[in-house]
Amino acid sequence: MNNRPLKSWLQRCVAESPVSKAHGIGLFVKIARGITALVCLFGAVGLAEPSSDSLKKTAPSLFATYCFDCHDTDEKKGDLDLSAALQNKGFDGNWAFENLITGKMPPSNKKQPTAAEKSVMLDWLAARQPAMPTHDFRRISRHEFVTTVNDLLTTDIDLTALIPEDRGTYDFDTDRRIQLTSEQLSAAFTVADEMLDFAFPTDHFEPEQVWKTHAVKESHETYRIYARKHEEGMLFSWTRSNNGSFYSFFYDNFEPPVNGWYELTFDAAKMGDFLGDISIMVFAGKYFIADDRPQPQRLVDVISLGDKTIKAHTIKVFLNPGENVSVHCYSPHTWRQSEGNQGAYIKQLTVRGPVHDQWPPKSYQTNFPRLPTTPPERSTSTGAAAITVSGGEADLRAVIKRFAERAFVSTLSDAELSPFLRVGLDQLKAHRNFVTAAKVGMKAVISSPRFYLTPSAAANQSQTRAASLSRTLWLSVPDSRLAELAATDKLSGPVLRQEIERMLADPKSSRMIRSFCGQWLNLRSVNKVSPSLKLYPLFDELLNHYLPLETEAYVANLIVSDLPITYLIDSDFTFLNQRLAEHYGIEGIIGQHLRKVYLPANSPRGGLMTMASILKVTADGFQTSPILRGAWVSKNIIGTALSPPPPNVGTIETDHAAAKTLKERIEEHKKNKSCYACHKSIDPYGFALENFDAAGQWRTRYATEQPHAGTFYYTPVGNFKLAGNVDASAEINNAVFKDVIGLKKFLASDHKRIAYNLAKKFFEYNAGHKPDLQQRLDLWAMIPEKAEDCRLRALLINVLIYAMGGQ
Amino acid sequence: MNSDRSQGNANKGAEALFTRRDFLKIGAAMPLALHSLSLQAAEGRKAPPKRVMFICNSLGFHEPYFFPKSRGDLATSAYLQDLKVKNKATVFQNLYHPGMETSNHDSEKSFLTGAARPESPVFVNSISLDQILAQKIGGETRFPFLALSIYDRGWGCSWNSRGIAIPPMHDETRIFNMLFGKEDLEAKKKQITNDMSVIACLYRDLEVLKARKTNLAQLDSFRNVIRELEAKIKHEEFWLNANKPAVPNTLSDDKEFEFSTKIKNLLELAKLALRTDSTRVITFSMDWIYGAIKVPGATGGWHTLSHHGGQPDVLEQLSRVERNIINHLNQFLYDLDQIDEGNGTLLDNTTVVIGSNFGDASNHTCNNLPTIVAGGGYRHQNQTVLEKPTPLCNLYLELLHKFNIDAGQFGNGKQDLELLKG
Repeated sequence: MNNRPLKSWLQRCVAESPVSKAHGIGLFVKIARGITALVCLFGAVGLAEPSSDSLKKTAPSLFATYCFDCHDTDEKKGDLDLSAALQNKGFDGNWAFENLITGKMPPSNKKQPTAAEKSVMLDWLAARQPAMPTHDFRRISRHEFVTTVNDLLTTDIDLTALIPEDRGTYDFDTDRRIQLTSEQLSAAFTVADEMLDFAFPTDHFEPEQVWKTHAVKESHETYRIYARKHEEGMLFSWTRSNNGSFYSFFYDNFEPPVNGWYELTFDAAKMGDFLGDISIMVFAGKYFIADDRPQPQRLVDVISLGDKTIKAHTIKVFLNPGENVSVHCYSPHTWRQSEGNQGAYIKQLTVRGPVHDQWPPKSYQTNFPRLPTTPPERSTSTGAAAITVSGGEADLRAVIKRFAERAFVSTLSDAELSPFLRVGLDQLKAHRNFVTAAKVGMKAVISSPRFYLTPSAAANQSQTRAASLSRTLWLSVPDSRLAELAATDKLSGPVLRQEIERMLADPKSSRMIRSFCGQWLNLRSVNKVSPSLKLYPLFDELLNHYLPLETEAYVANLIVSDLPITYLIDSDFTFLNQRLAEHYGIEGIIGQHLRKVYLPANSPRGGLMTMASILKVTADGFQTSPILRGAWVSKNIIGTALSPPPPNVGTIETDHAAAKTLKERIEEHKKNKSCYACHKSIDPYGFALENFDAAGQWRTRYATEQPHAGTFYYTPVGNFKLAGNVDASAEINNAVFKDVIGLKKFLASDHKRIAYNLAKKFFEYNAGHKPDLQQRLDLWAMIPEKAEDCRLRALLINVLIYAMGGQ
Repeated sequence: MNSDRSQGNANKGAEALFTRRDFLKIGAAMPLALHSLSLQAAEGRKAPPKRVMFICNSLGFHEPYFFPKSRGDLATSAYLQDLKVKNKATVFQNLYHPGMETSNHDSEKSFLTGAARPESPVFVNSISLDQILAQKIGGETRFPFLALSIYDRGWGCSWNSRGIAIPPMHDETRIFNMLFGKEDLEAKKKQITNDMSVIACLYRDLEVLKARKTNLAQLDSFRNVIRELEAKIKHEEFWLNANKPAVPNTLSDDKEFEFSTKIKNLLELAKLALRTDSTRVITFSMDWIYGAIKVPGATGGWHTLSHHGGQPDVLEQLSRVERNIINHLNQFLYDLDQIDEGNGTLLDNTTVVIGSNFGDASNHTCNNLPTIVAGGGYRHQNQTVLEKPTPLCNLYLELLHKFNIDAGQFGNGKQDLELLKG
């Protein structure tokens, strides 16, 4: 019975294979190859007619043959008596299953079950595993809420921070165990109001204005050493004050009157003769005098100046009232000691905004199509009236219906529409304002369980599928093409695959990359840690800004180019800009735009684990922890199932104090059986990454902070003493490696484990729960035998289709 | 309007909600709230209200420095020797949460609920102690309860009746504005009308969806959320008639010791909220992240330091962090005790429970949880060492009884400790 889903999944693969002619052949070959492998497996799993003698053996006897040598009542290795556990109906087979399927058990030096036998064992474990209780729906996350409402309104305003985080200790936002709270819905009400007011202001509509300024606000005297008047504008140098903080130079004569998008044009040039660009980091935030307490600033964009002639550099940024625009110059030069003439020369800043690409703004065209709006042209005077839309009850009905059908990803009957229409009509009757009436209807729609809980009842299966796809790949609702295909129930077979390909190619898929990397690789925490200024004096906000971007660009590229899964482990390229390249010690990369860069042959970089983003997120900003990093690799890359901690660990008496080096201290784990059971599968990976410090830079010796006398003074050379040599060698499962290069080789040698782990993660990201054991068997079966054939995009697409319940 | 609600179904069981009528009944509490800043004590007509606050230090306190070396003498505790309100505090030894003996950091989820096995993938939490209290006494103040945390993590000590985390507030400015900021009354009223019309629409939407007989569990869960929200909005609407207390902003903006400042400020906000009777139930989750923190004399990852493994240098750093936290708590208790109220002080009318989910964070063990009960007007013992490991929920049960809540049992607490004598 357990094989049915697998079989039907296979049949579907065959049916769907010819996506396009050119692509189809390769795919067909791949699938055919997969089928040969799978048919063996099938037979093995023991359908109606087992074809080989070994299959007549029952699973329990196979466990006895291959496992009980170590895991019986007498030996009880790793505190596991499998002979007794398997008798126990409540036994959690997860751990045994994972170790068996990934080949961790039986150990390589013991006799191995045949593929067929292994299948019998796995299938048996899967069949008896109790189902995990789970809800069959989830709430949409705050990220999904905000991006979706933005797409519905055709606006772009990020109010995510106003809704409380609710992921808790779960891995993914989509986890179905997370349930909606009234705090969450209350915050969603507030955000909905703000977004609707942003899209359709009812008091007045701010005219577009232009500001020109070349003066920076009065700052404290002593900070003039970083900026001075030059020709018509200002010349800025790199700033870093005595306490290590940066100073913003705020532009005078401009304050955003309302929140919105503004175009900032800097007429600027690089000054000085040296290789490399100078960067202007543009911030938005509350003004403060340099000597005062700094106010939080948002980095809104970075401009790279490579040219000594003045050019206009335009960026588009979102600004709020009360915020000012400020700049930092990032260059190798500072004038602290002497008046320099190298830096960023900004002749003038021109601000235009709030900008709208068209009139009436897009949000009106999307939501009030064909309805007359006034004024016909955008007013240029302050105090201009709000846009009014003329319409009657029938128009209101059309507007709300259209909005609700897009939001719910379903066609709606009159009865289904009636509550939303009524709240709008009541408003229209009471106040005769069409826009206000539409807004309350829209607010009700995006507060409805059909919007807020997913999956919700749609009119057909294609629509349910379209909703799931667009949530996963775009964190949003379908676009018009996908919605049309769904409305006519065409979303299956080759069309479904084509649509996924199209959606992955759409720029909106970058939201999925950010969301998935943020959660799977923990990159959402990348800003939670600020590296010590004494140990990592060169670490700065510019670098921090680009750290996650490297990872996102890289993962996106692996998907677009459909590269082998082993690229997650190692690669000869990555995505860098000048700042990241400096950090990695790679020369010749000029300018701050990210680009694909081939790494030098001897570079330890390449792959996820050696990216500074990952190395930073797995450290506390001071010292590295092989345990933390090891746990990260173990959980996120390899997917090692750790044994549950033995009961009553109690206080572990380990004499850490006697151990000299960090390594010796951690090796203490070996002395305690309870510790070692897990730590032997964690620590070694971390040791191999010890050549990277907490900021992600290469090192061969440890550094220890030095105490400072009196006030701390920042210096670019830091304030530390070099200590012992790094020993990055480690041993795991009898494999010995001397450093990170050895570790990568070791991990890349088992592409199926890496692919299996990723498949499980992506399944969970889509479905909101971990795959059960039966589903894991199916996921495992999707992984091609040869590493070269195991491609990232193909795998993700197959997992996605499977997680959504088939073709 | 929806029939379900007007029938008062919402009032049954643990999810007691407050109707407009309830508010009118308890309207007598209002003048108290308005005058509490200065006049409350002078009036003396009514006994001051009882409040409660729970503080969970998520990485615990190093046991040998926390518990007194000589029984009953707080002067022999490295951390508590400088406690300014020694005669108004009791340190409890030998409390634990059954079912959390081998837990990890997830144990924090059960600090105020006592729910067993929080590390399990199928764990479902239960209602936290503060929420039971908020249901009982929360309706009498503008804010039924206040849940605070250091970071934007989305969960802390407070869990609702469905066992779902109530996201704590962490942004000092937003908390201050919520408590004391001026409101545009007209805009607020409009807002409430708008919200209520949307809620009415959602009830109708639920009826339509219910008729289709699909996803009923989903609809029920949503209905609960809407009901809660409706009750909250009505509560807010009622309090619109009363001005918020005018309080000067006394928050610190010291950026050098951000972590330390944050704790200080959140305690300051708690004090102001209690003092102005804006709320009577507060939780404060001192949650942790991997990142480094800085307190006077120590810089490092709080979590990294907590795994000191007995190394003297690391322990020295950790103790500076913990001392810093204790200093803030000490000052907080002292501040409450400096505010006269009724025949005693604000501290006498506020039961402050300071504790942790970890007994020893270095080893991730959850036995012998460091616990202090301060204030509340009890005759304090300085230290109470329980003979054998005793469920912390027994103490919680006793607290419920002190607030006249007959809970029968709470979590795994079945027996009132009967140690807090009034």
